[in-house]
Amino acid sequence: MPLMKHFAAPAADDTSLDEGPDAWLAQLAAPEAAARRAAAHALGDWPEAVPVLLCALDVETEQAVRSALLAALGRIGNEEAAAGLAACLRREDAWLRNAAIEVLRGLPGQVAAVIAHLLVDWDRDVRILAVGILDTLRHPSVETWLLQLIEADGDVNVCGAALDVLAEVATDDARAPVTRLLERFDGEPYIAFAGKLVLGRLARSA
Amino acid sequence: MTEPTISADDFQRFREYFYRRSGIHFEPSKRYFVDKRLVERIRANGCTGFRDYFAMLRFQASGQEWQALVNEMTVNETYFMREDYQFECLVESILPELAARKRRGEPLRIWVMPSSSGEEAYTIAIFLLERWPELSDWDVEIVSSDIDTRILAQAQAGLYSQRAIQQLPASWLQKYFTREAGGWRICQMLRDAVAFTRVNLADPREVDAYRDYDVVFCRNLLIYFDDASRRQAAESFFDVLRPGGFICLGHSESMSRISSLFRIRKFPQAIVYQKPLEGL
Repeated sequence: MPLMKHFAAPAADDTSLDEGPDAWLAQLAAPEAAARRAAAHALGDWPEAVPVLLCALDVETEQAVRSALLAALGRIGNEEAAAGLAACLRREDAWLRNAAIEVLRGLPGQVAAVIAHLLVDWDRDVRILAVGILDTLRHPSVETWLLQLIEADGDVNVCGAALDVLAEVATDDARAPVTRLLERFDGEPYIAFAGKLVLGRLARSA
Repeated sequence: MTEPTISADDFQRFREYFYRRSGIHFEPSKRYFVDKRLVERIRANGCTGFRDYFAMLRFQASGQEWQALVNEMTVNETYFMREDYQFECLVESILPELAARKRRGEPLRIWVMPSSSGEEAYTIAIFLLERWPELSDWDVEIVSSDIDTRILAQAQAGLYSQRAIQQLPASWLQKYFTREAGGWRICQMLRDAVAFTRVNLADPREVDAYRDYDVVFCRNLLIYFDDASRRQAAESFFDVLRPGGFICLGHSESMSRISSLFRIRKFPQAIVYQKPLEGL
């Protein structure tokens, strides 16, 4: 009979869970990547593991383990995790930066605590990535943060990125700041294009 | 209260957002379909118009309205042979590749998640019997799981409406089903061939029981998840699969948008995702 009905669930093993996170924390340094990945997933239940998970993210090279570490940090999802993930925006590793943004987009309450600093960061790349977090963030202040940014930021690329998001989320509150931005960056073709798109949409939906 | 209206700009704005979040693209020809459902949701939420509703949808922390809207915008039904190009891909491309590197005597294991009322798992079983001659050389296990125990009981009973079986070739219908007062009953042999189990995909500890699968079918489920749950599901599927195992998603879903753990495999019949052979 080639089609076989078979499903044998292994016996549940909650030993490590009962004993706390210590065994998993130790396992996070195991030589086998599979063991480190399992530990990373398990530690997603322990908020006190955030510093260790973030340290592991610094040194881990195996993609599947890094992915598990990020998933664990996202599952814990507290302010400490969000701050640690926000720090990843400075990393050279493009995969890590993008993965951190993805996780942060799912933590709107916690992002609120770190976004103000990111949007005024000295590094314009960090500011552009911070705008990327706002792209699909479900938080009522997204428009306010973007408007504050375009009123103050002197970088054309940062403001262009902000206008891209505003094209979707802008309300009447955006009309004056976007108009001022167009004046400030007079002669910048992308700002002119994106700014007019925002204002055009607002005018048509008035 | 006046009827809310959706302008061309509103439609454009909405479909860009909906595509980015769900991967589902609405052509301009779907305008009527989309507008009608948007108006329904605007009314259901007591919003004053599209702008009011869109802001609520976009920023609501619970994501509850997003869920409700996705339910409205997607065709939430299953039937035998649905998106059958993937079953073609299974028997023409995926299984031959898996069989070529598997040891004799090792079972081939397929997981269907979510099971719903069993149409997909039974379709796979029928495809293997009808379209994969090598089946006689292998033991194949099909496990079909769902969070809903009522739907699993329905799957095990194997009784289907005319609508569910209408895409089946007449010869297969005759061979594997019998007509009953309540519809069409799938034969005992197939009911005995599929194991139906309850699992919550969102709970990694429950999914720990599912390991060493060669193929996972997870179609039209992830579109209902939020980003974090989707990523968690991708992590779980990675652990469920053997190295080199495949995952088949629904036509509007893309693993590349969720996780970089899997590789894209373009077969002549379908695009599917593969856990790398090397590494974990």
